[in-house]
Amino acid sequence: MTTLEVRDLVKDYTLRSGLRRSTLRAADRVSFTLVPGRTVALVGESGSGKSTVARMIARLEKPSSGSITALGPDGRRVSGRAYRHHVQMVFQDPFASLNPFHTIEHHLIRPLRLHGRAAGRAQTRRLAGELLERVNLTPAADFARRRPHELSGGQRQRVAIARALAPGAQVVIADEPVSMLDVSIRLGVLNLLARLQREENLAVLYITHDLATARHFSDDILVMYRGRVVESGPADEVILSPRHPYTRLLASAAPDPEARGRSLEPMPAAAEPAGPLPPTGPGCRFRDRCPSAMPVCSRTPADHPVGPDHYAACWLHAESGRETSGAVAKAGPGGKAGAEDNSGAGRAG
Amino acid sequence: MTNPVPLSTPAEEPAAAPPEGSGTRARPHGAWRALLPSRSPKLITGLILVTAIGLLGLFGPMFAGDPDAISDASFQPPGEGALLGTTQTGQDVLAQLLHATRGSLQIGLLVGVMATVLSALFGILGGYFGGVVDESFSLLSNVMLVIPGLPLVIVIAGFVPAADRGWWTIAVVLAITGWAAASRVLRAQTLSLRSRDYVAAARVAGEKPWRIVSVEILPNLLPLLASQFVFAVIAAILAEAGLSFLGLGASNSETLGTMLYYAQNGFALQREAWWWFVPPGLVIALFGCGLALINFAIDEIINPKLRNTRAGLAEGGVAAGAAGAPGEPAPGEPAERPAVLTISGLNVVYRTARPVHAVKDVSLTLGRGEILGLAGESGCGKTTLAYAVSRLHTPPAEISSGSVTFHDRDGRDIDLLALEGEELRGFRWAKLSLVFQGAMNSLNPVISIREQLADVLTTHRPGMSAEQRRARCAEVLRLVGVDPVRLDSFPHELSGGMRQRVMIAMAMLLDPQVMVMDEPTTALDVVVQRGILREILRLRGELGFAVVFITHDLPLLLELSDRIAVMKDGEVVEYGPAERLYRAPEHPYTRMLLDSFPSLTGARGAFLRDGAAARHDGRTALPGQHTHLSEGAPR
Repeated sequence: MTTLEVRDLVKDYTLRSGLRRSTLRAADRVSFTLVPGRTVALVGESGSGKSTVARMIARLEKPSSGSITALGPDGRRVSGRAYRHHVQMVFQDPFASLNPFHTIEHHLIRPLRLHGRAAGRAQTRRLAGELLERVNLTPAADFARRRPHELSGGQRQRVAIARALAPGAQVVIADEPVSMLDVSIRLGVLNLLARLQREENLAVLYITHDLATARHFSDDILVMYRGRVVESGPADEVILSPRHPYTRLLASAAPDPEARGRSLEPMPAAAEPAGPLPPTGPGCRFRDRCPSAMPVCSRTPADHPVGPDHYAACWLHAESGRETSGAVAKAGPGGKAGAEDNSGAGRAG
Repeated sequence: MTNPVPLSTPAEEPAAAPPEGSGTRARPHGAWRALLPSRSPKLITGLILVTAIGLLGLFGPMFAGDPDAISDASFQPPGEGALLGTTQTGQDVLAQLLHATRGSLQIGLLVGVMATVLSALFGILGGYFGGVVDESFSLLSNVMLVIPGLPLVIVIAGFVPAADRGWWTIAVVLAITGWAAASRVLRAQTLSLRSRDYVAAARVAGEKPWRIVSVEILPNLLPLLASQFVFAVIAAILAEAGLSFLGLGASNSETLGTMLYYAQNGFALQREAWWWFVPPGLVIALFGCGLALINFAIDEIINPKLRNTRAGLAEGGVAAGAAGAPGEPAPGEPAERPAVLTISGLNVVYRTARPVHAVKDVSLTLGRGEILGLAGESGCGKTTLAYAVSRLHTPPAEISSGSVTFHDRDGRDIDLLALEGEELRGFRWAKLSLVFQGAMNSLNPVISIREQLADVLTTHRPGMSAEQRRARCAEVLRLVGVDPVRLDSFPHELSGGMRQRVMIAMAMLLDPQVMVMDEPTTALDVVVQRGILREILRLRGELGFAVVFITHDLPLLLELSDRIAVMKDGEVVEYGPAERLYRAPEHPYTRMLLDSFPSLTGARGAFLRDGAAARHDGRTALPGQHTHLSEGAPR
């Protein structure tokens, strides 16, 4: 029953080339709230800063500014060492996230002990066994004795999920949990995560570059580009009627067997940035690739409402925001048609 | 000495062991076995040598007489009275040798332990904590590295008055001068381990730093520490022998070095008393040799390549044990296009301890200008097939039967499996070229794009002038959508997507008729991938080459390719036009693969993660099927 509030999270990295120094803003004023029982997907390409956000929430990196607050069931702030009781992380690469030297049981027993969930050898082992059973690794006693190299990728990721749950975590950060797995076992792992979420009423942050699973396995989606959240809203809304030009580009680039032969159609925006934008500085980060870039884009856009709980950080929606929100609700399932309408409206406005 | 591993970290070991508790006690052997070298002739020879000499040093002196006892029998050759003869002053060489071996081993082990502890302390802690700690530790070890070791040892040893120069003084001096190089290696390795996810996971779990270092990082450094310990022992014994031989060794101690020193002073060489100096020299040589052999064996566990072969073998069991309906080699509909590549009945076997049948009886036909998709999961044999077709497979992979025929533009049929040497090289890039997954990283970072492209032309088209080469390079770059201005760039100046385009340009340079692409876009972002796929499709239309496109991404293939072959466990389980495969998949595995990709825009139905699906999860519903699959896939 822990809520995690992320407010204006900023992470700057200093780049040194020779004597010159510059800062790279890996995350720029990222804000969202993780609520028990709901999944928020953080979507973006590699280098968009989504893993940086995850690592800051897991306290592997210190934010340059902004706050990450975990609120316990009593509404009080969780601080200090207790933070790790509440917030845990599942890593991307199950082949790297388990120590090859130790048994599976060791990976579960340590967090159980560290967080005082179990006392005594017998109870700890029993709890570890229960955790393994909950992630469908049965017989648990058999898996507990094994070492990581004796497990398949999917099985290892299940162990990693069990480890994240071992301290009794209520907030789980899943950083690309299935991207290293074979395609046929990905949905199994995602479904497992969804089931555990329902059982424990977990708040989940699902970080991925895959729009399709983001849509199916999350309630809300945040789209990140070069460190900024450019669009946020309910999962279906964001995917089916994307409002930010970048989200549209992402959605149109995903492979779609239904759209055979469309591959030769021109893309809605440049596939790659024309050149490096200054690492910091004002302005929309997407303007060098954006087909509808305008002079005003050199000022940083605010989050403009484009629908119920649906925001896009784009000047296209600066004034038409309130009018289009009604249209969006109607055009919701219409997918592409809705998007077209809106881009027209945007240009008009 | 027989097991160098526990000896290597005497200081840290007690700290690490007790909290392990029940966790590892259950099967204590597993972890250690993974760290122990596998039994090889090298290891066994090394162990025998080291053990024998160790036992000599340990127990020999108990049975030998007083090494200092002087007698009248000067320069007696080996024989009745003294097994190894006597010295100038009539001392027994055998007794001296046994005592000297013990002395040398003592110093060697002591220095080995001290140097390893020092290097571990500075290397591991510096590497883990980073920042100021790392900088100062690095500075210290760098300074120690620049100071020439032996002269320093000579100076220090010479500075300490001979009377105070016990063997431990020498040991300390040798340890202080000998730890730095090992510390650099440990630091580098720790830096790499520190960034591993399991260390991050331990931090997220709330482990304290000392525990992360001693329980998560240290065990994975043990093979390295063991090898460094062994090396330090060799180095110490040799250095001590050298010092003693120069007369700077420990006073009132007997080592192999002092023995040689006295032999030198007693004119053993001039008097041809070989029995005086050969035995100590031989012991040093054999002991060093034994330790070096052990070190080789330890290297084998550190070397990840050897680990990979073992993992590969394990995977083999899965592939070999597969059963299923044979594929349908005949295409779903008669191909309108003339064939450019025909693969029939191809079998590829990895001839390892347990042979792995990686490609089983695969028959495919690639039409001219066709895009053939090859879909399958990791380990299904799709990459092996690509390598075999382009004859890039290396032992232990072997084509056991079947044929690959290339139908040239001029109507000539080329039997690919019969090509050899120069013919094969000429064929490979000119008529059939390849783009691999990590290809963009295989560009040479210090050579410009222009030179790397031109290089292919110089090799394959020796007749071309420099001007023509330049024009052709610019032309292919333009074809793949990269500005020819970039010709003078170096690979690191280009983005990943651009580099992959350059690789595709390189593959198209000689106007091949077939391009084999193995996961060419997997490492790239979807938007970049889309851009590259568009180029491939457009160029296929313009230039008319055929493509074998290999990936695990079935939706991508369905959108892109004309026909698709689905591979599983080395077999083609389904082969047909993409449209048919999508609308009416026949093989259960194809259906399962299709179901693994939720549709981006379609209904949420089958993949609903809440409500109805909850009751089925893990048991009967579609997601359950995947659950079982994942449990049943040992890898």
